[in-house]
Amino acid sequence: MTGSADTITQTRTLSRRTFLRAAATTAAVPAGLSLAGCGGSDGGSTKGALSFVYMGDAEQQDQFEKLFAEFNKVHPEIELDAQGIPSGNWATFANTVSTRIAGGQVPDIVQIATEGQRIFASKGLLEPLDDFIAQDKKLVDDYFADINPNLVKWNTEYASHDGQTYYMPGGFNTMCLYVNTEIFAAAGVEIPAEGTWTWDEFAAAGERIKQKTGAFLIPANSGYFTDVMPWLTTNGTSPLNADWSAATLDSPEAAEAAAFVRDLVEAGLAPEPGGQFDAPSQMKQGKLATLGGGRWPVIDLRRLGLVEKTMVMAWPTRTGHGSPIGWDAWPIMKASKNKEDAWTFLKFLISKEAASFFATLGGTIVPARRSVAASPDFLDNAPAHSERLSEAVSYATPIPSPDRGAECQQVIEEAWLKVLSGNGAADETLAAANEKLGTLL
Amino acid sequence: MTAAPTTVPGTAPGTPAASTARRRRRRRQTWTAYAFVSPAVVLFAIFIVGPFVYAIGLSLYAWDLLTPARFVGLENFSRLFDDPMLAKSLITTFLFALASVVTHIVGGLLLAIGVNRAMNRALSYFVRTAVFFPFLISWAAVSLLWKYVLDPTFGLMTYYLGVIGIDAPSWFSDPTWSLPAIIGIDFWHTIGFTFVILLAGLQTVPNTLVEAARTDGANSLRVFWHVTVPTMSPTLFFATVITFIGAFQIFEPMQIITNGGPDDSTTSIVMYLYENAFQSFQVGYASAIALVVFVVIMTVTVVQFWLSKRWVHEQ
Repeated sequence: MTGSADTITQTRTLSRRTFLRAAATTAAVPAGLSLAGCGGSDGGSTKGALSFVYMGDAEQQDQFEKLFAEFNKVHPEIELDAQGIPSGNWATFANTVSTRIAGGQVPDIVQIATEGQRIFASKGLLEPLDDFIAQDKKLVDDYFADINPNLVKWNTEYASHDGQTYYMPGGFNTMCLYVNTEIFAAAGVEIPAEGTWTWDEFAAAGERIKQKTGAFLIPANSGYFTDVMPWLTTNGTSPLNADWSAATLDSPEAAEAAAFVRDLVEAGLAPEPGGQFDAPSQMKQGKLATLGGGRWPVIDLRRLGLVEKTMVMAWPTRTGHGSPIGWDAWPIMKASKNKEDAWTFLKFLISKEAASFFATLGGTIVPARRSVAASPDFLDNAPAHSERLSEAVSYATPIPSPDRGAECQQVIEEAWLKVLSGNGAADETLAAANEKLGTLL
Repeated sequence: MTAAPTTVPGTAPGTPAASTARRRRRRRQTWTAYAFVSPAVVLFAIFIVGPFVYAIGLSLYAWDLLTPARFVGLENFSRLFDDPMLAKSLITTFLFALASVVTHIVGGLLLAIGVNRAMNRALSYFVRTAVFFPFLISWAAVSLLWKYVLDPTFGLMTYYLGVIGIDAPSWFSDPTWSLPAIIGIDFWHTIGFTFVILLAGLQTVPNTLVEAARTDGANSLRVFWHVTVPTMSPTLFFATVITFIGAFQIFEPMQIITNGGPDDSTTSIVMYLYENAFQSFQVGYASAIALVVFVVIMTVTVVQFWLSKRWVHEQ
């Protein structure tokens, strides 16, 4: 741009009005740019530090760091660059990782939950592990012999699109109930010794607890894994069929499950959904008798001094035991330049020592190794019968995770919330949601 | 303000030497000016123009972030016309933006008038600070705070409405109340910004005009309509445009509080864009939506500028 010198020396008055108009116009420009910052490149990790991306908030990152320090004691020659990403759920974590990969930040190893395993494998981003497994057959066989056979089967069935092995399965979470024994005792309600109860027995216990103590029986939320799936699976159904190719949310069993939970809300046994109900704190204050969860509530229960006052029970049943299950898995990225080091790290992660160490630290998952899940490393300083979390693998249903899983999850959660908040009949609402799900599969 | 005479010591005006010195000085001033504006221009080019052009390019591709992009021409744009969710999210966003503009301008103006008239300076400062303070809090914190306040079981609002005999609705799980609840939260969070702008505009209204109108027998209402509003109309116009643009890009409270639900009743257009990009991994289609957002905002802004000729008074 060129300009006459006069344009500099001739002064112009920039009026307040002109400024306001200019500012208003300029403000409109960024509107269209919400997305464009997301560039992409083929990228790829470079030989150097071994990069590992995992999901974890600040507290969990502290625990992971201790685990990594253990690794470096054994393998000081491998420099580990571990990055924890705090995410509210696995879908968000998977989105964050995908965005990083699109931006050229391809790690060597990524922690991937069930929700993202098949889609990551199907995109051709992962290195098949079969050769590595053959190379360390004895070690891997020892690991597979110590974990539930279902996990080995699902690792191929749900986490691979072509029969090759892309992941080493890690820890998992199922859903059980943490029961406040003090509240049950105060209400004079006996907790079934064998650890099982029916929906009706559970609701009857809730009525008595409400009457005697005023406490809620259980929170009523719409989390896909934590709230929807336990009620569906204990009534013998699931939002999708076994191979995740068709929606089944319109089944009478699903409607019955949603209606049952709505009844709990209407009867005042569960708080109205849609707010910010802090279940562990409410339990601490004696206002909540049970809360659902996998291993992760243990951190809150320890913090609140509730470990000795709680015990783990299976989810109440209608047709039989049920629980969702989701498990961590570790793949090696195809673009990795550190594949041998990455495999060394994976071998460390599946070792009994690592599992024990992490369980002792109080990790938020159930160790895949049954020997560790049944050991004091996992069971000490935890609510009574924490082994039931591990036992649930035998009857659990892998959390349905089709390619457009995040969208499916949103549809299911919205429909569930609508029923629970009394804004829609269970059968009609779930049927409408089922139709939406059909378009996403 | 006018430029000072340019006489270089030791040179007589009108001589070739003086002319050369003047040219050098002007050239130096030119480069100084360029140096001052260059950071803004460079940042604008990198973070605004570049991504904008890139978004146009992306909208012509199908890209899932993980595998190479595939050129699809105008397919993403033709999809826009067959997408009922796009229409729904646009309507929701327009409703939100309209409500936001009306509540912010009316509420902000009333607050500004009240504070401007307050005789007690301490009270005036307190109100200014109190009203503006929520604007300094991040949307994430505000969203979580209001989830507590409006909790249908334990929320403060539920409690106080109960005290006066009103059953509080399920603000965030009832499709009838979810959008009004978000509008209310947005008002609480951002009214301070509009208020400060309008207060500044109000304080520029010359007292002489007001006093002249009063001398002519105008009452307070007539002074307000015929003196105050016309005089501060450029500020009102600016606040209207800025509020609309900000409201049309609303995202955080919907994402954090309701996740777009219930029944998609709080899915804004930017949230729908985000879902397409980072949940469905349809980055090309999301880019096309981003361009729609840009076109809508630009069109509304142009219309606002055109209409402003009828009601905005230039001095």
